[in-house]
Order: sequence, then C-alpha cells, then structure tokens
Amino acid sequence: MPEFTVRSDSVDVEQIMEQIRARIREKRGVDYTEEQIRELAAVKLEKFLDPRGLRSDLLDQFRRVQKEQAPPAPPNYAFEDQTLYESHRGLLRWIRRLLQPVLKLFFNPNPLIQALHIQSQLNTLNAERETTRRGLDQLQYEVLHNLVVETTRMGIEVRNLKMRVESLTSRLEFNERRARALESVVVYKPSVEDQAVEATPAAPSQATPPGLSASVTAAAPSAPGPGQRSRRRRRRRGRRGDGPASAVMAGQPGSGEPRADGPAPPDGGDGRGEGGTGAAGADQEGASPAGDVHDSGFDEQ
Amino acid sequence: MKLAVVVQRYGESINGGAELHARYIAEHLARHAEIEVLTTCASDYVTWRNEFPAGVERTNGVAVRRFRVSHERDPLLFGRLSGLVFHQPHSVADELRWLDAEGPASRPLIDHLAKHATDYDFCIFFSYRYYHAYHGVRAVGPRAVLVPTAERDLAAGLSIFPPIFRGVRALMYNSPEERAMIQALSANGDVPSVVVGVSSDVPSAPQPGRFRQKFGIRGPFAVYVGRIDENKGCKELFDFFNAYLQAGTGRLTLVLIGNSLLPIPSHPRIRHLGFLSDADKFDAMAAADLLVMPSYFESLSMVALEAWALGRPVLANACCDVLKGQCMRSNAGLYYDGQLEFVEALTAIEHNRWIASALGRNGRRFFREHYDWPVIERKYLDVLARLSGDRRGPGAEPLPGWFERRRRSCPPAEDVVARLPTGPASVAAPSSTPSSQGRPVSPVAPPTGGERRPGNRSRFGGRQRSHRGGSAPRAGGTS
Repeated sequence: MPEFTVRSDSVDVEQIMEQIRARIREKRGVDYTEEQIRELAAVKLEKFLDPRGLRSDLLDQFRRVQKEQAPPAPPNYAFEDQTLYESHRGLLRWIRRLLQPVLKLFFNPNPLIQALHIQSQLNTLNAERETTRRGLDQLQYEVLHNLVVETTRMGIEVRNLKMRVESLTSRLEFNERRARALESVVVYKPSVEDQAVEATPAAPSQATPPGLSASVTAAAPSAPGPGQRSRRRRRRRGRRGDGPASAVMAGQPGSGEPRADGPAPPDGGDGRGEGGTGAAGADQEGASPAGDVHDSGFDEQ
Repeated sequence: MKLAVVVQRYGESINGGAELHARYIAEHLARHAEIEVLTTCASDYVTWRNEFPAGVERTNGVAVRRFRVSHERDPLLFGRLSGLVFHQPHSVADELRWLDAEGPASRPLIDHLAKHATDYDFCIFFSYRYYHAYHGVRAVGPRAVLVPTAERDLAAGLSIFPPIFRGVRALMYNSPEERAMIQALSANGDVPSVVVGVSSDVPSAPQPGRFRQKFGIRGPFAVYVGRIDENKGCKELFDFFNAYLQAGTGRLTLVLIGNSLLPIPSHPRIRHLGFLSDADKFDAMAAADLLVMPSYFESLSMVALEAWALGRPVLANACCDVLKGQCMRSNAGLYYDGQLEFVEALTAIEHNRWIASALGRNGRRFFREHYDWPVIERKYLDVLARLSGDRRGPGAEPLPGWFERRRRSCPPAEDVVARLPTGPASVAAPSSTPSSQGRPVSPVAPPTGGERRPGNRSRFGGRQRSHRGGSAPRAGGTS
C-alpha cells in the first residue's frame, strides 16, 4: 500500500482524496471518466477477455458461411469408348455403329475417347479431394476456435497474475520501507558490557585480531551509532542461522560453531565473512566486552 | 415557553430518521420548555394505518397527543400521482392530490392546530414533504418553525413547497447543503434560519470487545448501519466491496447492521447481523475501523455523526452533497465517487492507521463542537428566544384561485431538481448564529458543482430515479 505524504495531525481530506485520485490516474494511465472506464471495461470483457463472450458458435458460423458460399459441384461426365456413338434412338445408334469403320477411315477417334475418359476420371478425383479438403477445413476451424478460447483464457490468467504480481510488489515495497523505517527508529539500549566498553576505550586495539587491516582497526574505535549496532546484531544472528538446524546441532562446518582449524578465507580475513564457517565474533559478543569492538571494525568494511 | 412538536409519527419504537430527530429534540427541549408532541396514530410510514390510540399519552416524560389518520395510503394512486407530478407538467391541484395521497392525511390534527395555535409559542414542524407539515404550517401561520429534513429528492421540486419555506417563521436546517438547496428553490433568504442538525446519545464507554465476542467478529471491519436497501446505495456498496475483495489488498470485513430489503451477497467477509439494540450498535461502531455510508440522499446522517462521536472515520458516497460536505467540513471522513475511489479510499483508511486515527479525532472534535446536545439545545433556544421578541411573520402565502390551481403550469419536479446547484455548500463548519429577524440570512458559500446540465451525470437519472422519484414509500429525511 503506497504511503500518503500528508503527515500531520490536522489531516485534510481533500488533499487525501486528491492523492487517491492521483494514484488511480497513475494506475490506469489515462484520466478517463468513470463512465468511460466502465464502457472500456465492458467492451474488453465482451470482445476479448471474457471467454463466455467469445464467438463460441464460430464453427457453426463457418459451416453456415460454407453452405452459403460453397460453389456448386463441378459438372462431370462419363466418357466411355461407346459414348461417342450413344443415342436414345436405337436405329440411329445402329447406323452409327454400322458406319464406325467408315469414320475411322477419316481420323482415329480412339485417342480422343481416351483423353476424355481420363479427364472424366480426373474430374471425379478432384471432386473427392475438394470434399475431403472441406472436412479438413472444418477441423482446422475447430482447432482455431479452441486456440482462441485457450489464448483468451491465458490472457485473462496472465492479466490476473500481473495484477497479483503488482500487488505483491507493492506489498513487498511497503514492507521494505516499513522495515527500513523501523530500523531507523530502533532505540539502542546500551548493555552493561557496552557501557564497560565505552568506559575502556583502549580495549579495542588490544583485542583487535591480527587478520584485520589497519584501516579496519582504525575505524573500530569510532563509536558506532545505536542503529548500526542493532543492525550488526541482527546480521550476526542471521549468520548464525545460515546452516541447517541439524548441522548446527552437530557442530558441522557452516553450523556457526567456531573452528580453529577451518580453512582460511580467500580474502585473508578472519574467517567471519558472509558464508564463512566461523562465527567467533558473534559468539564473542556475549562473552567479551571487546567483541563488539572487533565486530565494529569488521562490519565497517 | 410552550412548544408544539408536530411530526408524522412518534414513539419509542419508531426509528425513522426525521421521527427520531423529532423525538430527540422534543425530549431535550422538554428540559427547557413545556413540550407537547402533536402526531398521528400511525406507526407504519407505508400505509399510515392507525395503530396507536388517539388521545394524550406520555412518552419519556413528554406529552404526546395523537390524532387519527383520515385515510390510509393507496399505493397505486400515490404511484400514479407521483409519476404525474415528478415527470410531467401538471397543476397545483395535482400536487395537492399527491400530498393527500402521500399522507398521513389527518384532518383532526390540522383542525387542532388551527384552533389551538395560540396556545403555543411556536409549533416546530418536522419533514416539509408530508401532509401535516404543509397544512399545519398554513394553519398556524407565523408560529410555525420548520425543520425541513429535506433531501435532494424529487419532492423538493414540487411547486407547493416554496411558499411554505417562505411562509414559516424560521427554518432549522440540518446542513448547509440543505439550506443552499431550499434557498435556491424558494428564494427564502429573508426567513430566519440556522443550521442545527441533531445530536445522539452516544455512550461514553462502549464495549467493542463485547461486540466482537457476542457476534464472533474477528479482524478489522467496516460497518454499515441502517436499512439495507437499494435506495440507501447498498447494492452499489456490495458491488464496490466485491471489487475491494477481488483486489485482494485488504483484510476488512463488511458488517451490516439493520433490516435487509436486499439479498445479501454470500461471502465470508460480508456479515449481516440484522437489527441490533442501540447498545450493540454503538459497540459495533466502536469496534469498527470505519463506517461506510453509501447513501445517495441524506439530509444529515445521524449514523455518521454517531461514528464521529465514537472517533471512527466515515467513508461516504460523494454523490450525496450533504455527506461529502460533512466530511469536508469535519475533516473526518473520505468520500468516493465510483468503484475505484471506493477501493482506494477504503484501502487508504485500512492501511494508514494514522489517517484513520486523525480522521477519528477530527470527527470526535467536530461532533463535540457542533452536534453535542448542549450545542443543539442552545441553538434551538437562542433561535426561539430571538423569535419570541416579534411574533410577526410573513405567514403562508394564499393558494392560487380555483382556475389557477387547475392550470397545468407546473413543470415536472425532476426538471426543477435538475436545475438545482450541486456540490457541498461550504467547507466551513455549520453556522451557529441565526440571522436576525427580518433580515436575510447570510448566504452560504455558493455550491461548487454549478447547475446540473442535461449532459452532466444526474443523480436523479439512471439507477436512482426509479426508486426515489416514483411511488417508493419513504420515511423521514434525517437518517
């Protein structure tokens, strides 16, 4: 939830409302009126987003259009070897058959008959293919229809997820801001040990481990603020909890137990860096008043 | 000082806004003056059926004189006449017939007022739109003081009422918006007036924990108190609250208190508790994070005042000028115009505790300074004391002649109301100083909304018109 900038006891509701409206404008991008918003929302839902608003009768419509626009079946004919001499009059048919050898004296009709016969067969085949294609078209439209529905559903889901992500992002931002705000207002209550440390300012130099650099050592005595100390403590607690509980209980590497023989860290430090095995500094914190000072120098890095 | 309080219904069991307003005023003024309540025997505002016995009785120490209602309301006739006078050109006679059909028509009450007007110093009439107020004001003349409890509904556009607003001795308004509307309607700026309103007996130590335990309410919640009715904007409230739930950014539950005339959406975060006692109601308001007021038409909203008295912020419908004005004057409530603003405002109050607490503090202060009983009583007594010095008043204007009354020269009420200025009247707190007699009241700041134009979104068009403008029966104005 975004924060409001009016921070006083005497709130001004008009100012708050202005901020609310500004946020709404920011969210929706363009300053539409409420009616326009509703209209747009309705249009989108009807035409694109709402699967129920889709043309679920797409296939039926296609079939109807197909029926309306389908070309008539192509004309075909049967052509056999006797087709040229066929007639419904028996006498005429007899005369033609009688004179067939005379005709063949002038030209050879056989190739013509054969060609037309093949063409007839081709026409039949083409018609069958056309019928098959139409059936396939219907299947393709069904697939297309299903795809549109699924895409629409996915679109809605994506939109919902986006909104959820936005919501979670805003919550996360709010929590981060809140955490930062809380960190800044934590009041440091000096413990007895801290007071003892402050009373003996020479202690840090004595307790500085040999691995620390000069700059670190120099920075250590400077009195850190209470917020810094509390932050450091939280970090240390976090480090302690790095390993799994079983490992902690078993005292294995990474468990937070101090290891005298642990591998040296690559940076040449004292082995208490992030992910390091030792938590000596942290463990020292409660044991030795100088522990705070050591850690101060380390954390200042 | 002897005062008559004239109201359409009266009784401890009657919870209508104006009726409750009248009872509170009568009971509190009874400490300072002799009060007699003049009312009808009706208890049902839809039928006006005679249910109480006629005669004198005492209710909470106040003398109540009841008169029989001459005839019950005929819903069909009333609906037909409402359609005529609200939406068509008509005559004064039509409006008088509409008034008679609306009721509660009690001729004995008017006769009593005419005969015994001089027995009272002043007669305080509640709810201008009913029979008793119109004819009663005409019967008692300059002794009439009117508490109009007017809302921006179509009845305000009838032409029989402006003479009444000009003819009374003084007007006690509920809000600056009401005053601006009536002055725009009737040009009665020279009639003494004061914005008073009414208070409520809010317990000083409500028990929010007891409420939560009794009704098993956990977590933060927004409360709505009142009749659950489409006319009160509850349907829209359900839609908007659903949007809030879908947004998933908040944890508020909506708790509804009151009798329901609407189906309540079935959702675990919408709880309907029905009608509750005053103690439970105040406990609920004290336990709530905020009060929601979705109504489009209010002349004051006592519930909002009660929430403020308990230090709770209010989220009001910005389409109601009075509620928006009250929120702005008090700095104790947010208002919404549309679903997006509802969700955002609700979320803002929920997630920013400092806003809620600052609004609540402002509300408590606003109530204490302007609506606490000593303030209300002082305003009434001051006005009556000033008026006592001079009994002369304008008196009611005579009705037009027989032929003039029947001439269809009155415009439809909806046209008249559409021309009224809109918007909250002023950010300043309600005036506590009445105008001196005879001199014009200092005008309130002009409403900010300007005149309604046909292109503007009219609150009387669309969804609300059919409910408010037609034959839908209604109770008094102050709710």
